[in-house]
Amino acid sequence: MAHFQIQNLTFSYAAAKNKRSLDDVSLTIEKGEYIVLCGKSGSGKTTLLKHLKSVLTPSGKRSGAILFNGTPMEQVSQRDQSSKIGYVMQNPDDQIVTDKVWHELAFGLESLGCDQKTMRARVAEMACYFGIQDWFHRDVANLSGGQKQLLNLASIMAMQPEVLILDEPTSQLDPIAASDFLNTVRKINIELGTTVIITEHRLEDIFPYADRAVVMDGGKVIADDTPRNIGKLLWEQKNDMFTAMPTPVRVFYGADGNGDCPLTVREGRNWLSKSFPEGAKVNALPVQELPDEIENPALVLKELWFRYEKNSPDILRGVSAEVPAGSLYAIVGGNGAGKSTALKAICGICKPYRGKVKIFGKPIEKYKSTELFQSCLAMLPQDPKSLFVAKTVREELEEMTKDQAKISEIAATCEIENLLNSHPYDLSGGEQQRAALAKVLLTQPKLLLLDEPTKGIDSFFKEKLAKILCKLKEQGITIVMVSHDVEFCAKYADAVSMFFDGQVLTTDTPRRFFGNNSFYTTAANRMSRHVFSMAVTAEDVVNLYRENRHG
Amino acid sequence: MRDAFSGYHPAVNFIFFLSVLGFGVVILHPAFLVAGIVGALSYFLLLHGGKGLKRIAMMLPLFLAVILLNPLVNRDGATILFQVFGIPYTLEALVYGAVLSGMFLTMILWFSCYSNLMTGDKFTSLFGNLIPSLSLLLVMIFRMVPSLIRKGKQITGARQSIGKEMSGTDEAMTVLGCLITWALEGSIVTADSMRSRGYGTSKRTSFMIYRMAKRDWGLLSAIFVLSAALIAVISAGHTTATFTPEWYLAPISPIGLLLYGFLSLIPTLLHLQEALVWHISRSRI
Repeated sequence: MAHFQIQNLTFSYAAAKNKRSLDDVSLTIEKGEYIVLCGKSGSGKTTLLKHLKSVLTPSGKRSGAILFNGTPMEQVSQRDQSSKIGYVMQNPDDQIVTDKVWHELAFGLESLGCDQKTMRARVAEMACYFGIQDWFHRDVANLSGGQKQLLNLASIMAMQPEVLILDEPTSQLDPIAASDFLNTVRKINIELGTTVIITEHRLEDIFPYADRAVVMDGGKVIADDTPRNIGKLLWEQKNDMFTAMPTPVRVFYGADGNGDCPLTVREGRNWLSKSFPEGAKVNALPVQELPDEIENPALVLKELWFRYEKNSPDILRGVSAEVPAGSLYAIVGGNGAGKSTALKAICGICKPYRGKVKIFGKPIEKYKSTELFQSCLAMLPQDPKSLFVAKTVREELEEMTKDQAKISEIAATCEIENLLNSHPYDLSGGEQQRAALAKVLLTQPKLLLLDEPTKGIDSFFKEKLAKILCKLKEQGITIVMVSHDVEFCAKYADAVSMFFDGQVLTTDTPRRFFGNNSFYTTAANRMSRHVFSMAVTAEDVVNLYRENRHG
Repeated sequence: MRDAFSGYHPAVNFIFFLSVLGFGVVILHPAFLVAGIVGALSYFLLLHGGKGLKRIAMMLPLFLAVILLNPLVNRDGATILFQVFGIPYTLEALVYGAVLSGMFLTMILWFSCYSNLMTGDKFTSLFGNLIPSLSLLLVMIFRMVPSLIRKGKQITGARQSIGKEMSGTDEAMTVLGCLITWALEGSIVTADSMRSRGYGTSKRTSFMIYRMAKRDWGLLSAIFVLSAALIAVISAGHTTATFTPEWYLAPISPIGLLLYGFLSLIPTLLHLQEALVWHISRSRI
């Protein structure tokens, strides 16, 4: 018997009567399957997932049926649903109910009214399986984002669900925590046979291991096949979703490769090895170097030292950097290395106890604060929600200026004209990011600081953001960006710096920077480094492939 | 700081504090007062170390004020020392002030130890089984307050970096509004997360992370026996002390004093015992 059977499900939200969020969706999910649900933001993925657990099902007009283990969803008891269908959401923080790790693990069991003995056994079991013993007694507030999300997963697994539904569980995590999390999900699927239904932006980590991929667009299921076939299908349809495919897939079809499509970096390497036998002479891409001297840098950091409290460890330990005017400068590095603190030091929220910050040649102390944040410097925070104070995006922008012409201009730049009358909280992650960016841009900064601008955004919106950043650069704005997203930095940055241990260790052009790294680099580079040197983006690899095969 | 007494079951901790705080308010006899201060102070110093001394020193002016100002309020004394603005300043009231400030000191010391020991989760675990929904509510509040403070800081930081300085009530209201919207949005997710984990489907139970072991029962009964004996001592009038208009102190009852001293010293003695055990077992290695 199928685990879930969705039959001709059509749904529209109560607020939007004529727009169908789900349009005649039919899908069968077998027991123990690992299914990836992909699609652009707003394609109906989350709406579909929420229908698989009726306590979360939104209200609206619905037709069609959903069967869980052969029983219509409405007839499955609340209790069965709670324990048998596990649901992990996006935001690691808001899902947590209690203040202690052990209590959170027990929460579901407490709700089901389990006795002490059962609870003890289950909680202990979960803590061991997920490696939580070491932080079992900790306060939830002191956990990292990755630990929080793992805790959410563990506290759901404690109820021993048959199926695990995950809605973009890693969108708020850094890449290392994200791949740890996804590996754990895969382990659960393989070792326990739990059915997994997951939506994700970061397909590289899960696509190769999924049994099936289901692609949604405009509330319809447009493809439902094995991951390998999905890549081909999307390429043939010239679908926008193709940009979200793992790098090896994009390279393979981009270069008109023949044979089986590679899904992982390893398969990609083998495929390239076959195409270019050892010893074959291969043309490389031209490599630019950074100029030694930067004339009139927009930003100079000299030996910045900072710590939050007198007795706490130093976060910044001698940060020095120079940012050329009119460039997109990216700072990459691990979690907690102090990247965000460095940004705060640049805009004066954190005051370094030693060292100098010069903005356009003038030390930061010489600026009056009104002068600094008017037509000079502005920062887009990591969480766009910390900037939203009004009921509509338009009022949001009007808080910054009364000049309607200016507002229309910036709204056009950020492509949010059609969102002006929406509530900021009704927007998707990518849209919120652009609305917040528009608000920041209304201060007319010449130096723009971005803290993790690609966090929680799908590949489609990332390209949109990149276009906006290019436009801003053309207008002469200098952009400093802190990011975990190596693919994004490799593709769009002019210079990349490695931040480690409170310092900027190296700075180089993206091609040289990622080309010389062998671990901390893009998938395209890891896949092609044995054949091509210095190819860091999928486009680089495609170009080199074509040039060398046909040239 | 590891401490032997805090390793006991929260119920034992809680009942101990309830009992010493209760006796501390009721008993005003100076001899008992001193015994109580010795117990509270020694445990306070064990928990806080040198920093604790500094904190007490900072409170000294307050105690001094209580002592010196009491006669101005309380004019019932018999022995007039001198007159201030026509108010008789009496010796009895002065002594009474000293006793009162001694009582305040005991209370403050015990409360400080209490807040150190009884963390939010210990407190809520006490009532988890009795009133599950209330205890869950408390737990959620314990979690919400720091998270709101963190978010508030994030918002002011973000607004500062687009040139909106934190000044004036208008800006404060804007930040507050932003914070509330954000928190409400989060609470919808929290509610979903609770319902999807079966909240409200059946009667809640509470996971007890603390278990009453034999030694917990032992200590608990010791506290009960001591308290019962002390109540007997009090009702027999051995701790009676009146100060105004004329003072009367009941003759000191050595057994009563011993009982009270022992009760107050329980945490300190447990701490010393543990230190001793470790010292011996280490010297054996």
